[in-house]
Amino acid sequence: MHDFALWVESTRISKALFDITWLWPLCESLHFVGLCMLIGGAGFLDLRLLGLFRGVPFRDVKALMPWAIGGFIVNATTGTLFLIMQPHLYLTSGIWWSKFTFIVVAGLNAAFFETRLAKPALALDPNADMPRGLKIAGAVSLFSWFAVLYCGRMLPYLGTGN
Amino acid sequence: MSFFRSLQDSAFTDWFLGSESIWTYPTVLTLHTIGMAILVGASFVVHLRILKVANGIPLQRLQQLYRFIWIGFIINLATGLVLFVTQAADRVVDPVFYVKIGSIAVALWFGVLVKRRAIDPGAASPGVTRQSRSLAAASLGLWIIAIVAGRLMAYLTS
Repeated sequence: MHDFALWVESTRISKALFDITWLWPLCESLHFVGLCMLIGGAGFLDLRLLGLFRGVPFRDVKALMPWAIGGFIVNATTGTLFLIMQPHLYLTSGIWWSKFTFIVVAGLNAAFFETRLAKPALALDPNADMPRGLKIAGAVSLFSWFAVLYCGRMLPYLGTGN
Repeated sequence: MSFFRSLQDSAFTDWFLGSESIWTYPTVLTLHTIGMAILVGASFVVHLRILKVANGIPLQRLQQLYRFIWIGFIINLATGLVLFVTQAADRVVDPVFYVKIGSIAVALWFGVLVKRRAIDPGAASPGVTRQSRSLAAASLGLWIIAIVAGRLMAYLTS
């Protein structure tokens, strides 16, 4: 991983991007706005799955998902740019790999929800109790996204790969 | 020595910023980010609904989201005060800091106006008026300005 980080850093694209002085702060700002969109939209769905906002139909909660996914795309893009510009900060950092793992967990959970749970959820009476499976999916998602945030923000203090 | 300088140069600041522990500055900073996610995330949902995204969510159900908005705000007021104290002299002369605080104040104010006009039971005008939509759009924009200003404080001032 160390060698790979060195190689990425030696590429022309890495140097060219890192030389644009305003690019890093711009990406950081977008990364923060993106996380609010993601946690706002996905967090609202997760709370609904956990049984809050009873009476609000799933269909309407799901209408916010394009915004959550938009936030994720913003953050995946800016995150990839960070990675290209300063790979050694991330690729050899345990806390960054934890962050990456939580993203994978949240993603797999979302895929499982979308393919297996969304249909029965949509058919559910808006005032019905939440089945346990939906509650678990909501809890896993909420925990994972906040864990992603925690690992990302703590990365400079818990150890960059530097 | 000015009041703000004495705060920034206090023994508390030395301990808070100088400590090797992750429980001082890093944890307060992370809580500030978690509070932001809750506060701005919940505000996004409220204002997007006002702007007709997820149109089916009953307006009155947005009331519950304001609880999250205030929880996030209290977390960030508390952690923000600590962060301010440890950089007080730098911040009081920092225009970007005033942009951030001003944006937050107006964004919250507009959020409260939206609640009174479109969400609370017995709201003055039932349903979402054009004025409420303008307030929601402005509040969203101000939250983004606040976030960007907060991030740029680390770059535009020393």
